[in-house]
Amino acid sequence: MKLQRFFGKKRGHRRTGSQAWASFGDAAFHASLLVAGLLFGGLLLSGVAVPEWRMNHQFQPTDAVVLGTGVVRRRVTEPTGSVTMTWQPTVRVRYQVDGRATEAWSRSSRSTITADRRTAVDSLTRWRLGTQVPAWYDPTAPGHVVLERGVNWWMWLLTLVLPGALVAFGGSGLLRSLGRWGKSEERCAVPGGLTWALKPLASARRQDPAHPAVPTCDDHVNSPGTFLAFRLPIDSPESWTLLGIGMFAVLWNAVLVVLIVNAGIDLLGGRTDLLLLGLLVPFAAVGGAAIMVFTRRLIVASAIGTTQVEISGQPLRPGGTYDVLLAQGGAGTLESLEMSLELEEQATFRLGTDTRTERLVVWRQPLGSWHAVERTPGTRFEARVTTTIPAAAMHSFATEHNAVRWALVVRGTTPRWPPFTRVFPLVVFPAASPVAPATILPAP
Amino acid sequence: MADAPRFVVHFDRPDRTYDPLAPIVVRYEVHGLAAHDTIRAVEHSILWYTEGKGEEDLGVHFFERIIEQERLPPRTTGLGFESVLPASPLSYEGMIVKIRWCARVRYFFAGGRDFVSEHEFLMGGIPPARMPETGA
Repeated sequence: MKLQRFFGKKRGHRRTGSQAWASFGDAAFHASLLVAGLLFGGLLLSGVAVPEWRMNHQFQPTDAVVLGTGVVRRRVTEPTGSVTMTWQPTVRVRYQVDGRATEAWSRSSRSTITADRRTAVDSLTRWRLGTQVPAWYDPTAPGHVVLERGVNWWMWLLTLVLPGALVAFGGSGLLRSLGRWGKSEERCAVPGGLTWALKPLASARRQDPAHPAVPTCDDHVNSPGTFLAFRLPIDSPESWTLLGIGMFAVLWNAVLVVLIVNAGIDLLGGRTDLLLLGLLVPFAAVGGAAIMVFTRRLIVASAIGTTQVEISGQPLRPGGTYDVLLAQGGAGTLESLEMSLELEEQATFRLGTDTRTERLVVWRQPLGSWHAVERTPGTRFEARVTTTIPAAAMHSFATEHNAVRWALVVRGTTPRWPPFTRVFPLVVFPAASPVAPATILPAP
Repeated sequence: MADAPRFVVHFDRPDRTYDPLAPIVVRYEVHGLAAHDTIRAVEHSILWYTEGKGEEDLGVHFFERIIEQERLPPRTTGLGFESVLPASPLSYEGMIVKIRWCARVRYFFAGGRDFVSEHEFLMGGIPPARMPETGA
């Protein structure tokens, strides 16, 4: 008897490992998540959601007289071994059930449980002895009475979100595993069928219908230019960096404000938490630095001005010649401004638990270079150039983990500010006519 | 692997280079099937996949699965398949991204094991990418 193999050689002619065993492991993992989600959800539903729903819909209304008040003490042993006490307010009431007087302690919702005894006792002051209050009792267990009803939205959210996430993740994974069960990778990758479920990211990618694995150029043709046919969308790395720094500054300083408020409340109450005060110093330094960097980058982005690129035709084809217009707004002098046509490869891979993307420019053609560019407010610098996509050039290609991207890249330097780069993606379709025999791509 | 089958594959173009949208015909012979090898199914496919630094992506252009016993070896000997290639993606020899086209034949044997044979061909005439700095 031969043992099953889980892995096979990646390429070439070979016997492969058992698809069934690989699918079984994957399915078992996702099935365990699904079962855990169902169990967890069932527990929350039966322990929290259903009792609350019954209380709101099936309990019978009655009038009750407050006889007494008290707090329920519970002893909680933490996993670390430490013991804490919790306190829950409760009210002794007398009420009528089918004409018969009944006395019971009311049951409050779990949200009234507190670790502070004084808080629990204080919450009882609104129940005055001898007063008549509305109450609701369980018709199947008349000793179960409540003085307040309502919906605990937080608990419902918890009931839906946590088990729901487990059920969704485990269920979709199990469906995916069953869909792949005993199937070859080619069969799983056949377009249509269950491809959307097996590889949702890949099937969601927008491809040109006539050109598989070539991205569409819909976003490139929906904005007409001022002088040329199309204005290109910008994909500026600096904008994303600015957004990232801005979000970091906001989040970090929000945490800082919370810490400062806590420290202030402590100081006003006569307590001094030296650890918290010590932490505030480096936290404040980082928060201040984040605001400074964000402000500086914002000023730089505003001072440099907007960059616009227009092109005479879309989609681009190898061998095609196109007019390109570069327009640079803003005020002041640019030391240099240059534009180039670039071909970049992009590969996304996993390294341990990280997902990394590597980019490499494999071809670059300078289109124009300008020096000492003077700009005045209200007018913009404009330059018109012509570019030709090499006849033997690779077309645009984009899949889940790999891409070959074309772009017009504008780089500039200023006397006062750091250099800037702005990228305008292009889509190059394959040549319309059959491709010529392989030749070396002309050196730019 | 002494008991592995051996596939001899013939493309209709001896140089195995095709233009986009061109027809492609693949014929093959299989040798070395052991007497105890009962073939359960055969899959023929024409596909592209990526190689290089990134995770592998794969696109299947043509796929057929044969399970009828009268169409499976050893009852039949005229084995092959044909299709018309798509417009893209073209074969590409990049620096960190490579796109390869191939024809695959996968035999499924009774007992759950399978054997796959892969045969590359070129689609298009894109030259290899080079670093712009080297100019080579």
